[in-house]
Amino acid sequence: MGFKKKKKIPHYGKVKPKNYRAIYEEKFYNVLLKLRWPLMVVIFTTGMGVLSLMIINNKTDGKSVLNYLFHIVISISTVGYTEGYSGNIEANRLFSIIFLMIAFPLAYLYGLVATVQVFLQSDIANIYRYWRMYKAMEKLHGHYIICNFDEITKEVIKNLRKRGIKVVLIEPDKSKEPQIRNFGIEYYVFDEPYKRSVLLGVGIEKAKGLVSAFEENTQDLSVIVTARLIRPDKDEFYIIATATNEGAAEKMKLLGANEVIVPSVTIGRRISSLVLHPPSPTISRFMEQIAYGERTDIDIIEIKIPEGSPLIGKTLKDIKMRQETGATIVAIIRKDGKMKIAPSGNTIIEEGDSLLILGHPKALRRAEEFFEEYEEEMKEKMEEVEVE
Amino acid sequence: MINWGKVWSDFFIVLALTSNVGFIFSHDPYQLVIAITVNLIATVLKFGAKKILSAEMLATALVADLHLIPATILYFTGIHVPLAIGLAVGAAVANIISIVFLIIEIIFEYKREEEEF
Repeated sequence: MGFKKKKKIPHYGKVKPKNYRAIYEEKFYNVLLKLRWPLMVVIFTTGMGVLSLMIINNKTDGKSVLNYLFHIVISISTVGYTEGYSGNIEANRLFSIIFLMIAFPLAYLYGLVATVQVFLQSDIANIYRYWRMYKAMEKLHGHYIICNFDEITKEVIKNLRKRGIKVVLIEPDKSKEPQIRNFGIEYYVFDEPYKRSVLLGVGIEKAKGLVSAFEENTQDLSVIVTARLIRPDKDEFYIIATATNEGAAEKMKLLGANEVIVPSVTIGRRISSLVLHPPSPTISRFMEQIAYGERTDIDIIEIKIPEGSPLIGKTLKDIKMRQETGATIVAIIRKDGKMKIAPSGNTIIEEGDSLLILGHPKALRRAEEFFEEYEEEMKEKMEEVEVE
Repeated sequence: MINWGKVWSDFFIVLALTSNVGFIFSHDPYQLVIAITVNLIATVLKFGAKKILSAEMLATALVADLHLIPATILYFTGIHVPLAIGLAVGAAVANIISIVFLIIEIIFEYKREEEEF
């Protein structure tokens, strides 16, 4: 403690991250601190008792000393099976009387009882559980920070969990602890999420994104601004929030949120779309499951074709993506926004296209690698041109 | 003002060393019982201290205890008395290290007090 090197903190200001693990370590030290005096009294009385019996009986051989220790321990603990000495009964009993008068209140009533009390009251198991959780939390990276525990974020956490994405929950209200524990959230802290130290403490610098879903717009705004000041890059750190009206949503977007959802508007649109297109039970459910990420065996991604890509001008048949990766190109969105659904193999890829690819998550990962390889190829070619 | 909590803990830390050294020279069973009692108390007093070298202090105290407990068993059973003395010497070394840490800590405390003014 105390000798840590001063690290350069890359974000603005000089706020140190809140160390949740250290808080619980401190709590554990405080428990130990309470044990000092009771344990000291017990050890002192035992030692003095053994020593006195040795002096009274004038015996220092191993057997006698062990018997004296036994005698003292059963006296202090008020068990008292038998006497630990054989000869010189009167002197020993006289000593035992005086010893017990002192040792009983000191070592038993104060020492042992206080020790047990400290263990019962201090909730060691809970301290250990939190300490272990925060120790594991320090190693997280690429996780999502979720603010506030309510029905919306419960749904978010449930779906992210299915995909194996780690989340850290920040909840200002400590009284929700039992619900949070019952819901089985792995990492959570009880704190105000608009504080820089709290966001740094839950590893915002290594996180992938943040979800803020408070009922009050002001709370969302303060969280968004704080998070965006620490992680200014919108592409690297994704902030999603909820707002009660469109005006607030616009402000949140201007202040740093990537996406803002207005629940009432979203629900209204969904209802109206259901009215306009009476749902076919299989198709709409399937699309919905893909769109909301409910299915873990199928997913959809978007790949952008950058300027100067070697893919431009080639047909879908030529690049043989399906054969190599197992994923399917289900649609192409052209630069002007026109969508070509279910493109044929003869469709030509153009500059600025977005390819929508559907498939098993594993196949999609292969597809991403497939397109990355093309991009690298392009970069190499560009470098060659530059050298020439 | 004298910090009486500190007097107690320092008292026992120093007493742990002196009683330990006393046993090494006298080979006396009474001295051994005193030494182990004082060493155990010195360990307990280091529990939960939130100072600069508290972890190191506790570690040295535990080393001293783990030397003296087997030393006591060996001495009173009479199996291997020279080894018991040897272990007590080891405990004394641990106690000396503990006192060195104590002095370092005192220096740091003074430095910090100066900074605060």
